[in-house]
Amino acid sequence: MSQYIIENADFRMQNPSNNLVIEVAELYKKYGKLTAVRGVNFAVQRGEIFGLIGPDGAGKTTTFHILAGVMEASAGDVWVLGKIPRNARLGIGYLTQQFSLYLDLSIDENLRYSAGLREVSNELFMQRRAKYLQLMGLEKFGDRLAGQLSGGMKQKLALCCALVSQPEILLLDEPTTGVDPVSRREFWDILATLANEGTTIVVATPYLDEAERCSRIALMYDGEIHQIGTLKELRESLGLQRLEVRTNDLQTAEKVLLRAIANSPNIADVQTFGDRLDVLVNNVATGKSQVEEIFHHHNLAINSIESEEATLENVFVTRLRQQGSDPPFVPFPKSKSSHSQSDIAIGAYDLQKIFGNFAAVKGVTLEIKYGEIYGLLGANGAGKTTTIKMLCGLLEASNGKIYLGGKTSNLRSKELRRRIGYMSQKFTLYDDLSILQNLQFYCGVYGVPRRSRKQKIDWVLETCGLAGQENLITGQLPGGWKQRVAFGASVMHEPNILFLDEPTSGVDPLARRQFWRFINEFARQGTAILVTTHYLEEAEQCNRMGFMVAGEVVIQGSPSEIKAQQPGELIELVTNSTQAASDLLKTELESWRVSIFGDRLHIVLDRPKTELPEIRSFLQNAEINVQSVRTIPFSLEDAFIGTVQRAQQKV
Amino acid sequence: MNFIDRLLETPLIALILKEINQILRNKQLMFLLLFPPTVQLLVFGFSLNPDVQYIKLGIIDYANTYESRELIAAFTENDLFQPKIYTYSQEELGQEVRTGKITAGLVIPPDFNRDLSQNKSAEIQVLIDGVDANTAGIANGYINQIVNQYSRSLNENKSSPLVQVQSVFLYNPGLLSTWFIIPGVIGLVLNLTSTLVSATTVVREKDSGTLEQLLMTPADAWEILLAKIVPLFVLLMGDVLLALSIARFMFKVPLRGNVILFFAFAGLYVLVGIGIGIMLATLARSQQQVILISFFINLPVIQLSGAIAPIESMPTFFQDLSWFNPLRHFVTITRGLLLKGVGIEVLWPNVLMLAIFAVVLLTISINRFRSQLS
Repeated sequence: MSQYIIENADFRMQNPSNNLVIEVAELYKKYGKLTAVRGVNFAVQRGEIFGLIGPDGAGKTTTFHILAGVMEASAGDVWVLGKIPRNARLGIGYLTQQFSLYLDLSIDENLRYSAGLREVSNELFMQRRAKYLQLMGLEKFGDRLAGQLSGGMKQKLALCCALVSQPEILLLDEPTTGVDPVSRREFWDILATLANEGTTIVVATPYLDEAERCSRIALMYDGEIHQIGTLKELRESLGLQRLEVRTNDLQTAEKVLLRAIANSPNIADVQTFGDRLDVLVNNVATGKSQVEEIFHHHNLAINSIESEEATLENVFVTRLRQQGSDPPFVPFPKSKSSHSQSDIAIGAYDLQKIFGNFAAVKGVTLEIKYGEIYGLLGANGAGKTTTIKMLCGLLEASNGKIYLGGKTSNLRSKELRRRIGYMSQKFTLYDDLSILQNLQFYCGVYGVPRRSRKQKIDWVLETCGLAGQENLITGQLPGGWKQRVAFGASVMHEPNILFLDEPTSGVDPLARRQFWRFINEFARQGTAILVTTHYLEEAEQCNRMGFMVAGEVVIQGSPSEIKAQQPGELIELVTNSTQAASDLLKTELESWRVSIFGDRLHIVLDRPKTELPEIRSFLQNAEINVQSVRTIPFSLEDAFIGTVQRAQQKV
Repeated sequence: MNFIDRLLETPLIALILKEINQILRNKQLMFLLLFPPTVQLLVFGFSLNPDVQYIKLGIIDYANTYESRELIAAFTENDLFQPKIYTYSQEELGQEVRTGKITAGLVIPPDFNRDLSQNKSAEIQVLIDGVDANTAGIANGYINQIVNQYSRSLNENKSSPLVQVQSVFLYNPGLLSTWFIIPGVIGLVLNLTSTLVSATTVVREKDSGTLEQLLMTPADAWEILLAKIVPLFVLLMGDVLLALSIARFMFKVPLRGNVILFFAFAGLYVLVGIGIGIMLATLARSQQQVILISFFINLPVIQLSGAIAPIESMPTFFQDLSWFNPLRHFVTITRGLLLKGVGIEVLWPNVLMLAIFAVVLLTISINRFRSQLS
């Protein structure tokens, strides 16, 4: 057997024409009793972007560790560049989930260190430094400390550090978690450029619209890969068409349609996605009439209904629901009576925070009522977290007035804190305690009555799918799971004011839906909720929101108000080569007007009548085939990108 | 019942339980509490021995007579001196001292006998390596004693000296220097352990970012700190017991005073240590930093405490300065209680100083911690 492997290895090394750079066969990894990866097979070709997607705890990070050669497999064969992973390390660049930068070194020093480790000659280093810093848009900040960069810039720098030795393979484990939508697009544009140059990329991401930009995608859950294919293949295997239904009352509509699934085999699934419902049907025509009939029956108005191809998120959610891994919705065991006043819970008036000579927050004014969900959205470093910290009394405001739970002063009083729930961006659980001990601690410290503690803790465990595993050490949980437990821990005392700072960062799509059901439920019971997120489609569920740019709230209102305020028209373009079309159009239009959404392009045009024909001919000249063009309503994400970019241009 | 229920629902109980759970899982902390104190006590106890024995002696006996051999025997028949070489070359002897092969040299001149028989006082030459001033001084004392005794034995028939010293050694009749060292090392060990352990546990909360979450809970700053202090205090009192047991059973140090009083004062000192530790934790941003700072503080504190070197041999300025060193007072208390068996009636100034230190340090560190929070 070993003889065979050695011969095989020689064969690979003598055969550079072999285009498979990664081959994985029957890979297993066991941690004690737990099997994290069970029998995974896949191969990646040179120049591919290979996406690994799956829920939290599917075994993605373990697979990355093994590919990078930092962990031994329990069984199975792994060949990277024709060698065992440990020996191929010089050809691999690996970005782990944690920031792998030295925060007290400057950008240049970080780069030079990475280059030095990998024995890059000085001449080559200078060349590559110039090339990659320019590609990332970091060339102006060479001597800024890494610790002072925003999340998106840090990830770009980390990518730069991995690239400086020009590895043949890039392993990226959730590189865009916690990165804002604008920076995320820029990051993926860079990945596309690199792949074009022949770099092979394996990437995991919880953002499925990003994953649509991969050449091939593997769906992984429970340590197994269940499906591998191009986006097209995955869609076809699903065999369902998608109806985009827009209505004013999403909640009721979802409820009645879900009930209809049982007695109409044509409708397979109903998923809320942002401000629309995705109804998955076998047959478009009958599906359409069925939906219209059901809406009519319940006196619901349809704003629009359109047939589309299924998205990757549709595929993912349907497959996971088939697996039965949809996290259960267990109603929260309430013991306090709800707060039904429509008073103002959180108010900020001309709030400012100045650090040294840097104004992090400049004049923020907002009001949030009990029972309202307010979304504070913005790019990394826009001042959202600082604003939240001031509002909940953790940070003293330099200027301005705060009104919190009926008080304008003494925001740190014990009585007030008992009514506030807070979930910070960092993991807020004790890694060295078990899940149960963590929950018991937060119950105790918030003074939850002893008789209802067990009920509350059981609720958290059940909603997180961790019943029976409560004695696991928290530090061993995957990131997304920790977030869910932390959310549970921050609401057990039934606060009527809740601050959630990026609660769904790194959480898988199904668990995120569950998160928002709870957020909605708490709001219905009268809790005022301030939430930040980088997932704009979930932000649609906020009652009101504000976009922050460079310390200021530049636009405020309900999602539909914000979308209505967008100037120009939004055009959706489907071409045979999304990336090439995007690169090309960005040379012609201001670059913020062009953004990639999954496998299509969104373009903001002020005068579509005259501009659109120009664009068509422009693309045709470049031999890019335009498959469809249509005007679509602005989504929140389009509105966000437009607003933020335009505001930044003014600055 | 109702009261107990309400007590069990306070944040404080939850905080204390959390700390205990964390401590129970923290193998590193348990190691820090048990291993270094044991090793330090044993190593210091056995190795820090100021007694001078087996001084290496080189001898040149030019006289080579019965009397001179008698004198040499007086030097070598105890454990104080160990004859290393006999030679007739003064140059060689000098060389041996220079290279450190011998510490002292004894030269008996050829006319030694003649002088004695003529009732003149005879002269002998002694060379001592003065680099180690302590050993040199002690060796010089021994040599003088031996020679005096020898000369007295020569004219026994003549008048005996008018004044004779009769020394009685109180408290430590065998003059066992370990008895002096061990109480000092107990103080040293408690000082190191209590500052380090409390500093690292407080800093860890800051390190991992959970402190911010804790601040949003209804728990008050004093509750957060008290919950950290109480379990640490209990554990460190365990260390006191450990140190005392080693002193008693390994080194046979007597326990002459009131043991309960000893534990009470040790508790006071543990509070001082925790106060220093928390203060260091407010100065540092990470565990690594806090450990480095604590070394910077602890070394002078130990040096100026009299735990190892006697305070009396320091310059006056440092003797006065040591009054502001809590460890000095604790070491004095420990020696007084263990060796002398005295009580509060003698030790009260030191106890008072310790109490003042505990109150001041804890107040400052709690205030600093609290102001950092908000």
